[in-house]
Amino acid sequence: MIWASFRLQRVQLLTLLGVLVVGAGVLVLLRSNMVDAITSAQLTQCAARGGSACASDAQNVFLADWSNLFQIARILIIVMPILIGVFIGAPLFAQELENGTHVLAFTQSVSRTRWMLSKLVVALVPALVVVVVLQYLVWWWLTAAGTLGPRVNGAWNPVNFGIDHVSPIAYTLFAFALGAFIGVVSRRTLVAMTAAFGVFVAVRFVLVGQVNRFVPSERRVAVDAPAARDGGLQVGSGWLDAAGLEVPRARSLAVSDACRTAPSGTPPGQEEFLACMRESGLMNSYALVLPESSAWLAHLYDAAIFGGFAVLLLAGTVWALRRQS
Amino acid sequence: MTMPSHAGPVLPVLAEGAGKRYRRGWALGPTSLAIPGNRVVALVGPNGAGKSTLMGLITGLLRPTAGSIAVFGDRPNGRGLHPAVSYLAQQKPLYAQLTVAETLTFGARTNPTWDQRYASYLIEQAGVPITAKVGTLSGGQRTRVALALALGKRPRLLLLDEPLADLDPLAREAVLGALMTEAKSQGITVVLSSHVLAELEGVCDHLVLLHRGQILLAGGVNLLSANGTPLGELVLHHMRAAAAQETAA
Repeated sequence: MIWASFRLQRVQLLTLLGVLVVGAGVLVLLRSNMVDAITSAQLTQCAARGGSACASDAQNVFLADWSNLFQIARILIIVMPILIGVFIGAPLFAQELENGTHVLAFTQSVSRTRWMLSKLVVALVPALVVVVVLQYLVWWWLTAAGTLGPRVNGAWNPVNFGIDHVSPIAYTLFAFALGAFIGVVSRRTLVAMTAAFGVFVAVRFVLVGQVNRFVPSERRVAVDAPAARDGGLQVGSGWLDAAGLEVPRARSLAVSDACRTAPSGTPPGQEEFLACMRESGLMNSYALVLPESSAWLAHLYDAAIFGGFAVLLLAGTVWALRRQS
Repeated sequence: MTMPSHAGPVLPVLAEGAGKRYRRGWALGPTSLAIPGNRVVALVGPNGAGKSTLMGLITGLLRPTAGSIAVFGDRPNGRGLHPAVSYLAQQKPLYAQLTVAETLTFGARTNPTWDQRYASYLIEQAGVPITAKVGTLSGGQRTRVALALALGKRPRLLLLDEPLADLDPLAREAVLGALMTEAKSQGITVVLSSHVLAELEGVCDHLVLLHRGQILLAGGVNLLSANGTPLGELVLHHMRAAAAQETAA
């Protein structure tokens, strides 16, 4: 049965192998070229520390050459799950059900469960390997770019988040299981491909950033640390009174409106404004920040949600196929 | 052959009130039927009579909504077909992207009782190029490949759903000839379904006549036409009687 699954998946498996070999080769080459470019433009310090260490001319030349490539690599990792779901997951069973070849498989001396599992494993495992390898290589490359690359935007940046940690694997599992399930239910390859694409994109969009609410945030007072400079994600803000307690939003809004419209008619400067706020008892502004160091927690929640969907969909697929009509 | 504790060899098929009902009604009403070993059975009836449903119940592709069915003493289930049974569905499903040789390998990998030499011999007899892709074969050649896949399993019961339906007369004769040669020499019980009795009249020695999900007639050909009535007339007579009964009711 394993032989048959390999043989019937040959086109997809060869495509995956091609993507893996070409993708890995190109990424390794790009990285080494980029490291050379950074060295020759004397941007090594800039890449490592950023900010004042960067000579703006050299930096602009570098970004003009490389930022599009960075985007393409990130988009590749973002779209790989849905490509796998549409081109490998959706046709896996739908094609057999559409052509009636599942009857051929069901009437040999092999149980449906074995047939199904061998097909699932042979289709899914190589796809996951390709995702993991390419994801790692992109991460390795973008890390070498340091502050010159998109990683400077921090782990909470939606695109960075989508290509980091376990998230791409969870998305791939979900997309694959979604395609397989819709394929078994619809019994039509094209319907399964289209519907899997639509549903995946919708679910992925709706759930972007939703897991962040489960990650505990830190309260940072403005005078102590400017928010979000260290890759943290600001999820809220407000004012503190003299006792260090959060002022209700309605009150702080009313006060700040009053302070902005100064009696003299001219808009107040920053110092004047803050002084006015302090007079009303609003001593300090604060920000609620998700620190970059707890992004892993959001990734785990993300993986639990998408992985959970995938498990349910795979269970549904198995149930629907095992059911004797 | 497995022997039951009481008497005689186990029947290839024994249905006891087995039936299949869908939302729109009975596809096959509760049916009791015994198919004895070593026979060529013609399963005849108009389109929609329940022939494919009966085969589906025997293969385990369908689950009976009533009664029970036993194939060589075992109840068909979703855990693959009984090793002694082969089934060729009406559409003759084959993987179009495999070559003929790979199709035989598929049979070998999915059946513990596979006889590769025998299957290759059948392909050779049929004159089908072994390296050709299944998708490029003619209807007759496809049927021969599907038949080799079914026979290579070395079944004791071979179920063929409308095997001749989409073949030209020449291919029909060749397929039927090859099939009967193998059935006779290997001692296989063959069940062939058709909506045209004339196709099978010369080869079958057992008849099951289905009409609207009911069995009108079942038994050995020599017994059914003992008084010399040709089989075709007998079948027509029963069908007319059934139709008349329906109009009356």
